[in-house]
Amino acid sequence: MWKVFSYLKAYRLAIAAALFLTLLELGVELLQPLIMAKIIDQGILKSDLGVVKLWGGVMFGLAIIAFIAGVANSFFSAHVSQNYGFDIRRRVFEKVQSFSFVNFNKFPASSLITRMTNDVTQLQNTVFMSLRIMLRAPLLLAGGVIMSLIVNWKLAMVLVVALPILLFFLSWVLKKAGTMFRDVQDKLDGVNRVMRENLMGMRLIKAFLRRDHESDRFEQASDELKTKTVSSLRLIEVSIPALLFVMNVAILLILWIGTKQVSLGSIAVGEVVAIVNYSFRISSVLTIISFIIMAFSRAKASAHRIGEVLDTEVDLSESADTDQSLAIKKGVVEFKHVTFQYPESEVAVLQDVSFSVKEGETLAIMGSTGSGKTSLVQLIPRLYEVNDGQVLVDGQDVKLYPIESLRNGIGVVPQEAVLFTGSVTENIGWGKEHATEEEVVAAAKDAQIHETIEKLPNKYETRVGQRGVNLSGGQKQRLSIARALVRQPKILMLDDSTSALDLKTEGKLLTALRKYSCTTFIITQKISTAMEANRILILDDGRVEAWGTHEELLKTSPLYVKMVQSQFGEEEFQHVTGFKQTSST
Amino acid sequence: MSQGSNRPHPHNHLFGKKVKPKNWTDTVKRIGRYFSNQKMLLSLVLLMVIVSSALSLLGPFLIGKAIDHYVVKGNVDGLTKMLIGLIFVFIGQSLSTFLQNYWMIGIAQQTVFRMRKDLFTQFHRLPISFFDKRQHGELMSRVTNDIENVSSTLNSSFIQVFSSVLTLLGTIGVMLYLSPILTLISLSIVPLMFFGLKWITKRTGVRFKEQQRNLGDINGYVEEITSGQRIVKSFSQEKRVIEEFLVKNKRLRESGYWAQTFSGFIPKLMNVLNNGSFALIAGIGGVLALNGKISIGVIVIFVEYSRQFTRPLNDLANQFNTLLSAVAGAERVFEILDEQQEENDETDAIELPSVKGKVEFQEVSFSYEKEGTTVAGLNFSVKEGETVALVGPTGAGKTTVVNLLSRFYDADKGQILIDGHDIQKVKRSSLRSHMAFVLQDSFLFEGTIFENIRYGRLDATDEEVIKAAKLANADSFIKKLSKGYSTVLSQEGRGISQGQKQLLSIARAILADPSLLILDEATSSIDTITEMKIQEALQRLMKGRTSFVIAHRLNTIQKADQILVLHDGGILEKGTHEELLVNKGFYHSLYHSQLKKEA
Repeated sequence: MWKVFSYLKAYRLAIAAALFLTLLELGVELLQPLIMAKIIDQGILKSDLGVVKLWGGVMFGLAIIAFIAGVANSFFSAHVSQNYGFDIRRRVFEKVQSFSFVNFNKFPASSLITRMTNDVTQLQNTVFMSLRIMLRAPLLLAGGVIMSLIVNWKLAMVLVVALPILLFFLSWVLKKAGTMFRDVQDKLDGVNRVMRENLMGMRLIKAFLRRDHESDRFEQASDELKTKTVSSLRLIEVSIPALLFVMNVAILLILWIGTKQVSLGSIAVGEVVAIVNYSFRISSVLTIISFIIMAFSRAKASAHRIGEVLDTEVDLSESADTDQSLAIKKGVVEFKHVTFQYPESEVAVLQDVSFSVKEGETLAIMGSTGSGKTSLVQLIPRLYEVNDGQVLVDGQDVKLYPIESLRNGIGVVPQEAVLFTGSVTENIGWGKEHATEEEVVAAAKDAQIHETIEKLPNKYETRVGQRGVNLSGGQKQRLSIARALVRQPKILMLDDSTSALDLKTEGKLLTALRKYSCTTFIITQKISTAMEANRILILDDGRVEAWGTHEELLKTSPLYVKMVQSQFGEEEFQHVTGFKQTSST
Repeated sequence: MSQGSNRPHPHNHLFGKKVKPKNWTDTVKRIGRYFSNQKMLLSLVLLMVIVSSALSLLGPFLIGKAIDHYVVKGNVDGLTKMLIGLIFVFIGQSLSTFLQNYWMIGIAQQTVFRMRKDLFTQFHRLPISFFDKRQHGELMSRVTNDIENVSSTLNSSFIQVFSSVLTLLGTIGVMLYLSPILTLISLSIVPLMFFGLKWITKRTGVRFKEQQRNLGDINGYVEEITSGQRIVKSFSQEKRVIEEFLVKNKRLRESGYWAQTFSGFIPKLMNVLNNGSFALIAGIGGVLALNGKISIGVIVIFVEYSRQFTRPLNDLANQFNTLLSAVAGAERVFEILDEQQEENDETDAIELPSVKGKVEFQEVSFSYEKEGTTVAGLNFSVKEGETVALVGPTGAGKTTVVNLLSRFYDADKGQILIDGHDIQKVKRSSLRSHMAFVLQDSFLFEGTIFENIRYGRLDATDEEVIKAAKLANADSFIKKLSKGYSTVLSQEGRGISQGQKQLLSIARAILADPSLLILDEATSSIDTITEMKIQEALQRLMKGRTSFVIAHRLNTIQKADQILVLHDGGILEKGTHEELLVNKGFYHSLYHSQLKKEA
């Protein structure tokens, strides 16, 4: 948590300047009564107009100085707080970008979002306020006590006793409120989460008429936030009248003791009055203090939450024996006895998987739903770490590659077509830095989406929303294929990403893919697609059931035969198998 | 019929348009309206503010008296009585402050709660097209960041403003009593203050709005990138997104910087004006005193009071800052509340108590954007209980047909009839209550598998859920999960595959038991063997209900009573599988493309 505050160090000078300016302002404020006294004592009482004018002018000048100091303070404070917020956001975002998927499991997206915006805003506002008013409270407090001690230290002992009580109480409130506000922020995460789910699942919610159900859920999350906020705020706001009462009692005590002393003649009335006055000033600071406590406890909570993100250990990183010069050149892939299970689960999704793919070859991966197809391909770009065995690319363990150059050689088309807000060109060009227009168009053509794009209102400049409005499922899939192709990858991975394409388009696409000299992995449900591949890998419950060509599998894999049967009628089945058999012999 | 004009136009706020400063007094009034149903508590708070303000003046006043009458004379006994009285005053003061804060926080948070709820409800009333162009995160920012801005202001500002005004009025009264001339001098700063505030408000208001917008923008970006993290990682584009984030981050810093700087001027302006008036009082007062117009005592007291006078002014000025940022937040909330809702059902819209399932499309045309058409002149009819398959190349308009039937969008031209009723005249809720969907992107909520399937019918028992899961062939994989049906799925549905998600979606639709079933690529990610297994269940499910099936794998739809081949937004062919094969048209070539490819 302190780490988060330590980023302020970069702005030491500006902070010093801001604090100095606050002091200057405060100084002017304190000087004014003195000058006033001068005007009265030396000017008015002595009927000296010159003195009145002179000191009146000085006062006016000081007011101007205070103003300039105040305005300059605004600039410095805003500079510090905004840059500080900027820094934290940047650091958190960069940190999150280095996260592995295991790290992501710890922080739900909705919570990361709150931390990067709302929590940073809390910190930022606290810093801004601190630089402008924070100094006042302790100074006025200390000033009041010191002045009282000077006036009459015996009587001022009442304050010296009362103050630690106040401070102790305040620090208790601060600590308690800090934890409470952490809960508040957590509940805000909750509201964010329900809101996000609702936005993402809006169609489903509308389709199933679940508005009321969702409203209940939202109301619950929102109510929890309300309850937490109310109790945290109340803790702070309510502690102030208590403090006020302590101070007031102290004043009464001063009066009472003071009067006794006066009656004994050991103290002057003026001294009692002065100390009472100072005490009143101290209690008027309490409002500011409540404000400061509020800001600090919120900042503390937020800093803690941000610190959590920044302190997360990234568990998937380059090791010391990474060879920085390694890059994918051929695209040969080999799995050696790979076993893998997701970090949060107890069951292995891949067990003892071994196979290899030669440069430029195509491997089709088939298997029933949940058999581990997607899990298998995502090990190649090292999105996850294998538990046992090795994944080799060009004969080298993927762990030896610098992560960036490994992934740069791979083009991934995920199952769900994820697009980003931006133009079509931006979305395709996203695959490759500085992709030229020609490259984008060429990739679009190969992905069989060029014609569709040409029909869009603004062609390649048409904006695609997060949900890919106006694009059908198949169009989105082809856009994301184009995005992978523009990279000219050495290894291309199509994760069931032609499911929404009709066979004709798919055929054209597969033909276009032959131009690319890349090793290709196609996860597919369609036998017709798999038949195009050099080899087919059949996964069953995380194990390799069979691996070979179409013809081989027809003989060796009962599961494959079953798949073929499921997709072709009796007549076609004969046709497909017979046709292939004759051609291969 | 004028369905065309009913359709809300696509909005363009997100892109291009500049932020316009609105009339902020309207916004404040509108926030005020949220308090209206808490008048009772609010007046109690006001009462407490008055009491505490009065007591906070009474305390020092009595102490002053005590000093004059007892302290000076060293009268301990008299003082003790007075002090006992004072203790009660202070208890009263603390108690009333306590109560005013206690109640106010409750009121403020209740208000914020209602605002959130309104916003949420509004989101659900907006048409699907509203969400098409907006980032989720940007909208989320309004529910969190913007409303939080309002929240933090409401807690304290209301009391502060009210008590400041009270103190101000009180002080002015006393000052007038002491010396009207000096009071006028003190008040001479008020017009200056007014102009200064206006000058600053004009600048800060816009900046705050801009800041909130940029914050929303960042929120949107973060949400999008976090959702698409798999892509960012696989493409190793971390550097690029960090760069893009930096641009937005800088923009936020810029607007935040100016908003804060300008708003920081307000208290300083107050200060200088106060100090100025202080100097004026001293100077002019001095001159007046020299001329014998007023006594020195008056000047001394007056200076003290003018300090009293400036304190509430300063407080007000400080509140002004937070008020401005709250207004900026509230404006963005109201912006959404003012968006055109999914047109309300027409007043004479009817409920359909039951649906047999006869569906007719008559000359239906529609486009998502204003220009171009997505589907044009669609004509077809479906008898009750029939299964209709929609096939065609991607982008031919298959999903659009489903969107129109379920009124996610309303047709621009033509009519859609269910059992002879124009669906435009049927309440949306009633219409959809007869339908169940398996949508293209199978969305799961964070929650258990039980909860996710039960979404199809909320009152279903566990047994019914399990039965539906068995029919959808999902039972076997669910049982293998660590906690079975009680396994909590994360929001992104990590841990289960796409195909398994589809199986859950199918189970959900099975549980819903509708009259009209809509399957949009329901089995696209499911392997064919599993598909064969659930096909049987689906066939049974579709029996006796009108079903719309969109599928690319033609073998799944061969048994359909009617196949519509869509192409470029129109119907190219229709008929049964056998008829279409005999026709040797588009369907025929589609069907045989796989075999042809091998030849």
